[in-house]
Amino acid sequence: MASIEFVKVSKYFDRQPVIQDLDLKIEDGTFTVLVGPSGCGKTTLLRMIAGIDPQTSGTVLIDGKDVTRIAPGKRGVAMVFQNYAIYPTMSVRENIEFGLVNNKVPKAERTRLVETIGETVGLADYLDRKPSTLSGGQRQRVALARAMVKNPSVFLMDEPLSNLDAKLRVQMRIELIELHKKLGTTFVYVTHDQVEAMSMADTIVLMNKGVIQQEAPPEVVYRKPSNLFAAQFIGVPPMNIAPLGEDRSTFGFRPENAVLAAEPGSFHFSAKGEIATREMLGSETIYQVKTGDGRSFMVKCPDDIFHVDQEVYLGVPADKLFFFGADGNRIEERDARYLDFLERLRGQSHG
Amino acid sequence: MDKKRIWEGFRPYVLIAPAMAGIFLFVMYPVGYLIYLSLFKYNLLNKDKSRFVGLDNFTQILGRGDFYKALWNTTIYTAGVVVLTMLLSLLFAVWLNKKGRFNSIVQAGIFTPHVVSIVSISLVWLWLMEPNQGLLNYVLKLVGLPPSDWLQSSKTALMSIIIVSVWQAIGYYTLIIVAALQSISPSIYEAAALDNASKFKVFYKITLPMISPQLFFILIIMTIGSFKVFDTVQVMTGGGPNNATTTLVYYIYGFRTTNIGYASATGVLLMAVIGLLTFVYFRLLAKKVHYQ
Ligand SMILES: Nc1ncnc2c1ncn2[C@@H]1O[C@H](COP(=O)(O)OP(=O)(O)OP(=O)(O)O)[C@@H](O)[C@H]1O
Ligand SMILES: [Mg+2]
Repeated sequence: MASIEFVKVSKYFDRQPVIQDLDLKIEDGTFTVLVGPSGCGKTTLLRMIAGIDPQTSGTVLIDGKDVTRIAPGKRGVAMVFQNYAIYPTMSVRENIEFGLVNNKVPKAERTRLVETIGETVGLADYLDRKPSTLSGGQRQRVALARAMVKNPSVFLMDEPLSNLDAKLRVQMRIELIELHKKLGTTFVYVTHDQVEAMSMADTIVLMNKGVIQQEAPPEVVYRKPSNLFAAQFIGVPPMNIAPLGEDRSTFGFRPENAVLAAEPGSFHFSAKGEIATREMLGSETIYQVKTGDGRSFMVKCPDDIFHVDQEVYLGVPADKLFFFGADGNRIEERDARYLDFLERLRGQSHG
Repeated sequence: MDKKRIWEGFRPYVLIAPAMAGIFLFVMYPVGYLIYLSLFKYNLLNKDKSRFVGLDNFTQILGRGDFYKALWNTTIYTAGVVVLTMLLSLLFAVWLNKKGRFNSIVQAGIFTPHVVSIVSISLVWLWLMEPNQGLLNYVLKLVGLPPSDWLQSSKTALMSIIIVSVWQAIGYYTLIIVAALQSISPSIYEAAALDNASKFKVFYKITLPMISPQLFFILIIMTIGSFKVFDTVQVMTGGGPNNATTTLVYYIYGFRTTNIGYASATGVLLMAVIGLLTFVYFRLLAKKVHYQ
């Protein structure tokens, strides 16, 4: 049980800043997902919590205590590494047990713990095997068991599912959510997969280039993205963005919120165009619509009734439109400019 | 079609033929001839006067004190060189593995002796170890320690040769171990840090097992090499004083003109001892070695 707090934390690698003056509070017991494109500093952040690559300046607090001078092994955190980092020379049992031995847990207690955890993660029959004889999924479970057995107050996970196949990934995702519910400890989970982020997180911390873009529950990130980056990072296909007038402000809408029709409709934003491409995905179909003035929009439809080169009318209701100022930040409904932007867009509509 | 199939069958043998010819010519034939010679009372001047004596040479060897003395010297030498070299190169390697400013210089420096001829090295150490004018005794006196007779006393001669051999070998083996250490993924050490492992525990439970294949290799290579030591002895002591540094190969060398059959039989025994040792190593240690 512990909260984590970053206060004015900076991290430099060879004088190269990766993270600068970052403030972040992770609440006790939450499942927080750090998400962002490759190289944005997610792993760096996680390693600072663990203490294996401490911050250059600023403080990291765990449960309100400054842990700058506390060794990784004494912070009460456990970590599942991106590449698992299992000890290859030790058997599965020894791998899981290693932390307990170092913490001087008595032998009987240790054996009991290892067997229970082995049972939980489904490795009971593999305890005396060497890691080299295990499959990728099983190794991932060893890494997980090794972290769980220490009963840490903070669980750090660095893309633990990225090496698994799609099916196993979905299964492990559910197991991790259940694990979090059962343990109730603080989970900090790193991924660059937005589906993982959306499905698992209590709170998403969205990062880009070492800067936090938005920190909110998944549905808020989806419905009220704080800026262009957040809007385009979450959602597949990403949000359609198009310029709005001369001042570099933009508007956008999600592919799933646009409506396609053969006849013109009465939407706040509408445009006439032609279907350029069509991707049939089973339950839904994704069209790319090219408008007369050369813009293209992605549209996700539940039904598959249009064909390529067909002329269509694209429409978006007013409440599904997003507006972004020249600085890239979203303009909220209560903002004075909101109505002005809505009006501007009506003027732009074609058809 | 048929021709092609025959060629397919022959091809592997044709391809390894050159290598096999070399091995046969320079390994199998000499070994066979060695064993053949060991069964004769061989006459160098007149081959026809050579006499087949069966195992006579062997019974003679096993009944003579100087053979056991040479075997004992060789064993002590081997144990000393192997243990000291392995410990010291491990120590150096662990130290060099840390990223320091001088480490590449030290690494190059420590490797240099391996490049220099062992004869030159022996000669230099011969001067260094000279009891009256040598540098070593001078230094010993400076720090207030009693001087040593080094190569001139039967008590310290073997130790002196061990020192020279270790000094020469260390760089090479350090380099092998450094390479092994650098192949260990750093994230394993990070995981160990999170598992609250002490430095000693990390070394003992993670580093050592991870480099065990290389250590095992070094152990076997060095044991075999040390059992065959010759040049250092030849240059520095000539087996003396009082046979204190006569090793097996030097012992064999002593009979090179006087008794070829006897020398050959000793060579066969040396081969047997090395074979036995290697076998024992594999039986005792192979399970402890971790292969990826
Ligand atoms: N040891 C290091 N030395 C120098 N630069 C580093 C080091 N580790 C990370 N970096 C740099 O810091 C930045 C952030 O790296 P980090 O590993 O945190 O990215 P990430 O968000 O985890 O990316 P990914 O999703 O690809 O794992 C990158 O630009 C990287 O090049
Ligand atoms: Mg990473």
